[in-house]
Amino acid sequence: MKHLRAVNKKARRIDEMASAPRQDVEGDVFALQNPQNPAPPRPHVPMGCALAFSPGWEVDSSGGTAGLCQPVERDIYDCYVTCFWPAQVPDHLNNYPDWANKCASATKDWRNLDLVFP
Amino acid sequence: MKQLIAVLGLYSAVASGGTIFSGAYPDWVLVIDEAQGKVVDRIHLATGLPRGLRLSYDRKSIIVSTNDHSGFEVLDVATRKITSHFVLDDATHRYRINGGAPDPEGKLLYASTIEITKQTDRYTIGKPQYTIIDMAQQKIVKTVDQPEDEGGRGGRGGGGGRNGGGFEVSPDGKYLYQFGSTVTVMNSSDFSIVEKIELAQPDAPAIENLGLGGLLEAISQPGEHVAVFNFSDPIVHNRVFGLGRFDLNTRKFDFTPMGPAPVAMTNLRITPDKKTGYTVVTNGTLGNKRCEFWGLDLSTSRLARTGEVPCRSRYSFGMSSDGKKLYMYGAGFEIDVYDAVTFQHEATWDLNNDMTGSMVVLP
Repeated sequence: MKHLRAVNKKARRIDEMASAPRQDVEGDVFALQNPQNPAPPRPHVPMGCALAFSPGWEVDSSGGTAGLCQPVERDIYDCYVTCFWPAQVPDHLNNYPDWANKCASATKDWRNLDLVFP
Repeated sequence: MKQLIAVLGLYSAVASGGTIFSGAYPDWVLVIDEAQGKVVDRIHLATGLPRGLRLSYDRKSIIVSTNDHSGFEVLDVATRKITSHFVLDDATHRYRINGGAPDPEGKLLYASTIEITKQTDRYTIGKPQYTIIDMAQQKIVKTVDQPEDEGGRGGRGGGGGRNGGGFEVSPDGKYLYQFGSTVTVMNSSDFSIVEKIELAQPDAPAIENLGLGGLLEAISQPGEHVAVFNFSDPIVHNRVFGLGRFDLNTRKFDFTPMGPAPVAMTNLRITPDKKTGYTVVTNGTLGNKRCEFWGLDLSTSRLARTGEVPCRSRYSFGMSSDGKKLYMYGAGFEIDVYDAVTFQHEATWDLNNDMTGSMVVLP
């Protein structure tokens, strides 16, 4: 990016911010303590329901899959109801309140979940 | 002798004759017999998906909050019938409700709400408010804006759950207690702050709040709130957990430090004889996560017993009505039953219906 040069105030501020050392991830030493303070940077994943149309994916708070319920169908209703977890499900509160009406236990009968055409 | 041991083993595998009320998808309250480990009744909710179950002060009814249209239903424990239900939403207004604590007379419900108003061209999201809901009039009768510096996530804005902590109402109905990262005492009439007690923040966001939990089951006796919580000293920031007793009448707070704080702990479950409390502690995260049952001797405020338990990625912790069995449940359709003395797994109850995470256990 050295061929780019900031020519106005906003660009210079961005340049200064980008070139400044990040105190949250650099210039510090973490021992093997748990939990770390300050906490390490967290991954950027789309939050909420169906913001990215990649059917079937769900990630945990670290961006991986180790923290997910086993099997993941156990978790599908809390993803659906609260949109708290990043997962590919419709949202219960606003658009699809009846999505799971025919499916009491997602792990056992997930095929009864309704079809969604966003 | 072998027959006697077999009979005793069979007897110990079942809890006493208590009853569990649990919210379930999509619009049910399951009634589970502890002795049989089976669903014996299903109560339909006209207002939709149950999110929270809250026992009334007289323990005769359960107030169920539902998600679909910000609804409430009152379940009579004796008859297992819904005696009244209503919703707060209308054509142009929706509410996001957190918490929900009944007053001693069961006439009012104290909660935190965010109002969403449908305008002609947009939705307007309101500020977090403290709210009084009249159960007889079936509507909101009073709202007070929450303080700007404490509203929303991380402050008192949640009103319940992980962010804000739940409400408790004093036995005389005059004061509200909100338990979270701080204990906030408010006048129930206007939500003005009477007193604040600072507590430490939990570090693990994916588990129940480590502050003084707001669940009614955590109350060891009327007027007293007992829970585990953590704090760190201001010099070396050493994190310690301990046992806290909060007198709802006198607002006196008593804390006994017990040891180094784990990464996370569930709410404390107290046996009916008030002598023992149980919690599940978590160390490590994600794939490295390990869990242990901890049995606390409440008379001496000491850690009496520990036992490792295979924990789920996400779970809730409960206890049988007689205090002899421990439950791990959610997310999903099963309840794992453990013996409270040996911490050994005894049974898995298949409810054949996903639970919504809220449970009330009654003798």
